[in-house]
Amino acid sequence: MPLKFLADVYHSPCIKCRGCEAICRNYNQVPEGVFRIKVVTINEGRPGQLNFPLQCLHCNDPPCMKVCPVNAIWKREEDGVVLVKKDICIGCGYCASACPFGAPQFRKGGVMGLDGKMDKCTYCVQPYDPKDEQGKEIFREPKPRCAMVCPTGTIVAGEQKEIVEMLRKRAAEKMAMGQLERVFLFF
Amino acid sequence: MMDLKLSRRDFVKVASAATLFTAGLGNFGKYVKDVRFVKKAEAKEVEEGVKYVKTICLFCAVGCGILAKVKNGKLIGIEPWTEHPINRGKLCVKGASINYTVTSPKRVRYPLIKEGGKWRKISWEEALDRIAKKMMEIREKYGPDAIFFAGSAHTSNEGAYLMRKFMAFWGSNNIDHQARICHSTTVAGLGNTWGYGAMTNNFNDMRNSKAIIFFSNPAEAHPVSFFHIMEAKRRGAKLICADPRFSRTAAVSDLHLQFRPGTDIALVWGICHEIIKNGWYDENFIRERTYGFEKAREVIMKYPPEVVEEITGVPAEKIREAAYILAHNKPATLQYAMGATQHEVGTQNIRAFAILQLLLGNAGKPGGGVNAFRGHDNVQGATDMCVLSHTLPSYYGLSEKAWRHWAKVWGVDYEWLKGRFASKDFMEKKGFTMSCWSLGALAGTEHYDGIDQPSPIKMLFLWGHSTPSIGNVKAVKKAYETVEMIVVVDPFPESAVALAERDDGIILLPACTQWETSGSVTNSGRQIQWRDKVIDPLYESKSDIWIIFSLVKALDKYDPGLYEKFTKNFGGKSPDEITPEEVLDKEITVGARAIGMIGQKSWRLKRQKEYDYTFDPETLRSVAGPCKGEYWGLPWPCWNERHPGTPILYRNDIPVWEGGHDFRVKWGTKAPDGESLLSGVNGHDQMEGWTTNLETDYSEWLDKNMVPSGRGRARIFAWNLPDPVPVHREPLWTPKPDLAEKYPTYEDDVYGKFHFRVRVHAKSYQVAWLKKKLYEYSPLVWTSGRQVEHHGGGAMTRNNPILAEFQPELYVEINPEDAIERGIRDGDLCMVVSFRGVELGFTHAHVVAKAKVTSAVPKGVVFLPFHWAGVFEGKSYVERFPRAEGESGESLAPYAYGDTPNILNPPGWDPSTQMQNTKAGMCQVFKLEAYEHQWEKEGVVEDYRKLIKELIRG
Repeated sequence: MPLKFLADVYHSPCIKCRGCEAICRNYNQVPEGVFRIKVVTINEGRPGQLNFPLQCLHCNDPPCMKVCPVNAIWKREEDGVVLVKKDICIGCGYCASACPFGAPQFRKGGVMGLDGKMDKCTYCVQPYDPKDEQGKEIFREPKPRCAMVCPTGTIVAGEQKEIVEMLRKRAAEKMAMGQLERVFLFF
Repeated sequence: MMDLKLSRRDFVKVASAATLFTAGLGNFGKYVKDVRFVKKAEAKEVEEGVKYVKTICLFCAVGCGILAKVKNGKLIGIEPWTEHPINRGKLCVKGASINYTVTSPKRVRYPLIKEGGKWRKISWEEALDRIAKKMMEIREKYGPDAIFFAGSAHTSNEGAYLMRKFMAFWGSNNIDHQARICHSTTVAGLGNTWGYGAMTNNFNDMRNSKAIIFFSNPAEAHPVSFFHIMEAKRRGAKLICADPRFSRTAAVSDLHLQFRPGTDIALVWGICHEIIKNGWYDENFIRERTYGFEKAREVIMKYPPEVVEEITGVPAEKIREAAYILAHNKPATLQYAMGATQHEVGTQNIRAFAILQLLLGNAGKPGGGVNAFRGHDNVQGATDMCVLSHTLPSYYGLSEKAWRHWAKVWGVDYEWLKGRFASKDFMEKKGFTMSCWSLGALAGTEHYDGIDQPSPIKMLFLWGHSTPSIGNVKAVKKAYETVEMIVVVDPFPESAVALAERDDGIILLPACTQWETSGSVTNSGRQIQWRDKVIDPLYESKSDIWIIFSLVKALDKYDPGLYEKFTKNFGGKSPDEITPEEVLDKEITVGARAIGMIGQKSWRLKRQKEYDYTFDPETLRSVAGPCKGEYWGLPWPCWNERHPGTPILYRNDIPVWEGGHDFRVKWGTKAPDGESLLSGVNGHDQMEGWTTNLETDYSEWLDKNMVPSGRGRARIFAWNLPDPVPVHREPLWTPKPDLAEKYPTYEDDVYGKFHFRVRVHAKSYQVAWLKKKLYEYSPLVWTSGRQVEHHGGGAMTRNNPILAEFQPELYVEINPEDAIERGIRDGDLCMVVSFRGVELGFTHAHVVAKAKVTSAVPKGVVFLPFHWAGVFEGKSYVERFPRAEGESGESLAPYAYGDTPNILNPPGWDPSTQMQNTKAGMCQVFKLEAYEHQWEKEGVVEDYRKLIKELIRG
């Protein structure tokens, strides 16, 4: 069952409290300047202002994976989480231009980042440094902290089927209150 | 349902069978579906040696729960506490990075002293002894009132209470804390209207609202409250945002009322005018439960929307729309924070809010009420414990009766206590406040003269209070340099230690954060939660309670018998042995009767924490288990150990035993005009001696469904205030001279000869402002507020590497039109200047900030966030911060620093509480390169100074 993210800015406007960014930095030990998730604002300071939390959406057919010249990006079969093998990655940056959401990240400094490795959201499966003290690769529970702490319920995570079900429910709630003018889903 | 007597073990079993449990508790399921991974979170990954401690966030007053992850006694991370009834694991940027604040390398590690221009590490014994010696020296030379104690809202209830007790035993009322410059006008405004000056409902209850009107920016200042506000919105609530800026709250609201700062009353009256005109008010409610509606109506009818449009700048149509929404979506709630309180008319702003809710009949109802969002994690608790210069814990005031009550609780003789003070007169006289203590220190210098006590302030305690939040920072800096000794007790080197340009006489004591000690904290909704100790204090830091007891012990050497008296109820045990539980159970919940803080014993609070999952997040009531029937946090009034707490104040449709309540009978049973002040529904007087009788558990009254504080009426007309019904008054510094003629500010004599021991003025300043036409020189309205990444004075957040990275700098928000006129582009450095400080003989105030050109602020308004320190008028002083070991080691200067915008605020104070005005000032912005001290060159500053001198002397 593929695990997915969704930013439901239609039913639950994001208020840009940046809890997602902070808990990601905190839990995944991501270094300064790298944002696995980032809240982007459009129309700031005027009506129509909208905040979007953007991160890797763990695509079903990830374009980053297709363009990776060294096959460093892979998709886990059991849950569809897209991960990067940092010891294979050469830091070419193709993935960044292929990704429609700006998910691939590079550490500040140098032409292609300090350590030259691409980093991205791992669905909280792996921290920034994916190896533990013994050099063994870390695999944690797929339980994204950003979705857990999001106060407005904008970030939704889970199996795609569940997400759609929840959206349906939220839409039905709106419809019941006569508020549904249009169904407009981002992503 | 699960009305079984279950042991803790059984409950664990039930809890671990998560699906079963959530199915069993009806509407819990809703949250589980909506809040992803709640179920999975219970089955934590089992890591060896890792333990999760349930604790409470250290920042704002929402009171979010957080699980601290501890391994081998070290704090290694945090996890969302998904069962916490208030936030269900939700966190904002500050809470989500909180462990980096606690473990920040910028923490003060050892007691430090500045001597001969150098910082030096000293032992605790030496530090405390030096402080005690100095205190006694000052006491002998100048008297006990020569010390000012700035307490803190960032300590536990026990810590706050002991601070107040400490100063009472010392013999002075010169003690104050953040609440003075935060929500003191709430206490005066709401207290004078219906009895208690606190948030009436709670965060979770906002889900029940059908309309919410914001007078602040909770999306940035209290982000997790949006967990509940968004739920209300999803259920169809209409959101109205009244804010001079197009804030993030405005972005998600249905209607934005963009008014000019300082015109809140006019705006509210515009709305009320429409409500009265169209007959949308709740007649029954007004007849039965309020007093003085007719008198208020006369005032309100002078503010039709067209007039209000002229004053506030909000189109009349929008005011009508707001009135329509509020009147047709009931219950509606009103939310506000600093934007409304920090004005000369702060008390009146809050009164206007309360009156709006009374007209609509929204007071004392679920989904209604006036929700004052407080700023710090325990500012409600510290206010209740009255770390304030005008009252004793639990708002008893300073009368002889109040002193006798607390002397009885403390087990000391009243006469002995009186002997500690300079005189009985000083015992009952209000002390200096946070907003004007600096004048108390500057008395007798070239800058200021004339205070209402024999000696100026000679010694200062800054116990968890920051500098950037105090206005008039120029005078504050001078005061830091004038006093003989400053004692700073803080986990971080508060900017005062570096701002003061002095070589001697600063002692910096390392307090631990509240995660390294335990205690109770009261959130904004009066919910009291037990905050567990997560780790042992880092380095040589100590808990506030320990430091207070140890300081008393150190004083005992010079003042024999003091420690024994101070710790009488704790058996005279040593500072290491006295626990916060004892302080809460043996003193606070015995004496704090006027707010009904009696049933909140530590064991009850701890039990609630353990059985958090039995509380329904919708009603906040425990549905089963040992806490069955209790409300989360036992919100006061909680009349005895069997009472469940009162989550909604003044709600008279449920029994008192179930949390029912009513407006207080606080001003007698009859108004001066002879009208009854008892409620039309079962009205009765208050119970005789309910605040001072230490024996009663009130059950006799509760059984009869009577409220010990009486069932009275809310006062729409408050005869004891300068304005019995609020009227619009132009801010002291106003951009509209014509309106200032029509709606002038307070006369000088409203403040009396002395106001909290200092002389303050209002009208004189406004007259000088208008006469010299200073609005032409500084035409931009200045307002301040919060950034989501920072908190208060910023010591906790600017020292957190994550937060410092997320928001590394101060900026000034300026409208594109204003920016272009001044040749300013986005990102340019600017000089923001105002006339503040001139009235005290200083040069006028400067702030250097980066321009953020945005249409979020309307033309003519600029906004600066206030959390910043480390730079003074463009000059950095970070090199003056101490190093970890005193002179050597890592620098303790904060990661992020900037100029302090509150230096620009106007010289206005609320007549009821001496609240400072840090929300509606005036300033001018120059591009930094273009700034050439124009005002001095033109002689404006000198002219203005002379005129003020004349006016004040006259």
